[in-house]
Amino acid sequence: MTSEPQLSCAACAAPLAAGDRFCEQCGARSSDEEPAGPGCQACGAPAEALDDEGYCTICGVRERPASNRVELDLVIAAAVSDQGRVHRRNEDAFALGVAGERSVAVVVCDGISSASAGDSAAQSAAAAARETLATAIDAGRDRRDAIGDAIQAAHEAVERVEWTARADRDMPSCTLVAALWYEGEIAIGWLGDSRAYWVAAGDIRQLTTDDSWAEEQIAEGLLTREQASRDPRFHSITHWVGADAPERPPRVVVIRPDRPGRLVLCTDGLWNYAPSPGELGTLVDALPEQAAPAAVARSLTETALARGGRDNITVAVVDVGVE
Amino acid sequence: MSSFTAEVYQNEYLPLGGAEVNAIVTVTSAGGAARAGPAAGAGARRPPDAAEIIIIDTSGSMDVPKGKIKAAREATSVAIDCIRDGVAFGVIAGTDVARMVYPDHGGLQLASDVTRNAAKAAVAGLQAGGGTAIGSWLTVARHMFGTRAQDRVCHAILLTDGENQSESAEELDRVLDTCEGHFQCDCRGVGSDWEVSELRRVASKLLGTVDIIADPADMASDFRAMIETAMGKATRSVSLRLWTPQGATVAFVRQVAPTIEDLTERAAAVDARTVEYPTGTWGSESRDYHLCIDVAPREVGDEMLVGRLSLVEGNKVLGQALIKAIWTDDQQLSTRINREVAHYTGQAELADVIQDGLEARKAGDEATATVKLGRAVQLASESGNDGTMKLLQAVVEVDDPATGTVRLKREVADVDEMALDTRSTKTVRTGPGGA
Repeated sequence: MTSEPQLSCAACAAPLAAGDRFCEQCGARSSDEEPAGPGCQACGAPAEALDDEGYCTICGVRERPASNRVELDLVIAAAVSDQGRVHRRNEDAFALGVAGERSVAVVVCDGISSASAGDSAAQSAAAAARETLATAIDAGRDRRDAIGDAIQAAHEAVERVEWTARADRDMPSCTLVAALWYEGEIAIGWLGDSRAYWVAAGDIRQLTTDDSWAEEQIAEGLLTREQASRDPRFHSITHWVGADAPERPPRVVVIRPDRPGRLVLCTDGLWNYAPSPGELGTLVDALPEQAAPAAVARSLTETALARGGRDNITVAVVDVGVE
Repeated sequence: MSSFTAEVYQNEYLPLGGAEVNAIVTVTSAGGAARAGPAAGAGARRPPDAAEIIIIDTSGSMDVPKGKIKAAREATSVAIDCIRDGVAFGVIAGTDVARMVYPDHGGLQLASDVTRNAAKAAVAGLQAGGGTAIGSWLTVARHMFGTRAQDRVCHAILLTDGENQSESAEELDRVLDTCEGHFQCDCRGVGSDWEVSELRRVASKLLGTVDIIADPADMASDFRAMIETAMGKATRSVSLRLWTPQGATVAFVRQVAPTIEDLTERAAAVDARTVEYPTGTWGSESRDYHLCIDVAPREVGDEMLVGRLSLVEGNKVLGQALIKAIWTDDQQLSTRINREVAHYTGQAELADVIQDGLEARKAGDEATATVKLGRAVQLASESGNDGTMKLLQAVVEVDDPATGTVRLKREVADVDEMALDTRSTKTVRTGPGGA
């Protein structure tokens, strides 16, 4: 009578089946072949021990998602959108267009996480709004009207997003902040809590006021900022882009910068880590004066990641020169 | 072959440092069930080979009151009529020894009109007299099921009316060990002279149900229901196979619906990180399990597969459920308590406080009994467990169900107390109206 020699794991002595490339008990490699990849970052098990969904079949820990980042560098304007360290997909989006030396259209959106297809909503809204703004620059239209039309186009685009109804999910929706700069003036319009800041020497301002439960309570004098920030509804937004959005014209502000500076648009994935204009200004000021918009956007994104990266992070930066 | 589905209910988000993962898994077996009775529907799937033994207590006490042995004979006849053609069956009469009533020698007989009639004739002649030795009855049943226990569904019904006096508890335990895995056994106590904890031990070990038949007149309908359920089994023995990652420990695994049954101690190791819990045979039915697994906490943003629960028949995987954990610093996520987990945690406590309360009441500790049974009333009321609430009301006067304010009743019928004890493990499902 003959029998196959019993294979066993060199590390823990558990039996191995012929062809096993790692020990299913302790995760030690048993093959001389080159490993297929870096393997489990948590317990060191070889790449073969990771299942199709990235879970380690030894220690159960899932592979961290590969960095998921989109960057666009158009020299005088740039944007970065990063998945962050916690979320498994990026539901933020931006759209950016430069039409000449001093004309920029930029849109940043944040898909609402309790909604279906938040990522598609954000992408569709941003693309549609930017398209409308770009046309407005070409036509030399009134900036306020152009912002209004761009937001209308975003609403229509989100309504066309395909989605599957689920009891625990809202209709597709997103926030939006859009800026249109040409001929020395910048118009900024928004719905929700994505923000725009003006950062210039001696002039650091938040241009937007969040459409949020917290801001409404504070505006009506019902709560102090301190009290509101401790409320679980702090992040609830009161206006957004989507078929189920409350009917209300978007808020628009127009500025005419008297000195060069930077226009920063971002989602709460960044401003959560720098809630006041001062804090954000400090982060921007800490960079070299000649830092390009792309460097500023990357640096702000890295700061948010370093502070936890709990949400998707999107930052758009425009270098605004003055004639 | 029936099809299985498994659904997981859990809050997978853990706070920083969180190490305990709770999940409710609902396992549903659909279709493929055999039809009960000799007239199995044409075209029905062929059920697995089955064997059925009815064990009737014929000790002397079955004559008191007079109608009890008569009701048992009638119930057994009704049960025999429900046995499907081709199922191997037999009847055992139990006193301080076990006697084969049908067939009177040799192995089990295959059910047909002829054998069913012969069995009923044999049962009609049963008389009461002698002691009670449940272990010896089970031993004979195991021999009658024979060596084919692995490839057919073996099921027994055991009816008794008294305590297991003719043999020691150790003897019974030893017998239960030898019978475990060979056949399943539903146990019924008639009247109020039997011991709830004793029958619960038998039923629990042999993956069966336990209940009280307070009135002998109800015996026939109960026997019919048990046999119909047994005939409806569409699987052989199914196990829950649980994989957990290195460094994790299983705190507990308990069935929580339709009844509470702790499975933790039944774990049989498959390999270093996988164990199996036997669940017996399945018909068209749904059972819920509560799993609690301790893991080593990870960093914020890490995600871990904490358990993979498979339903296996032999080595065939019938269904699978994944239990996960994600560590977060978002308290809104981590503090949400899953509705199903909360509900079944309450139902398990309900069973515990009833058993503790009745124990205290028996021991004369009325203060403890009042507190425990008061808590039981509160839990039953909150969860909409109307069945248990009704049984509680036979034992306590309820002043305020919301706060659990109760008074112990002075006069409580033994059968009411035993019914509450026996059925304390019956749970309801979440959702409007329960199930």
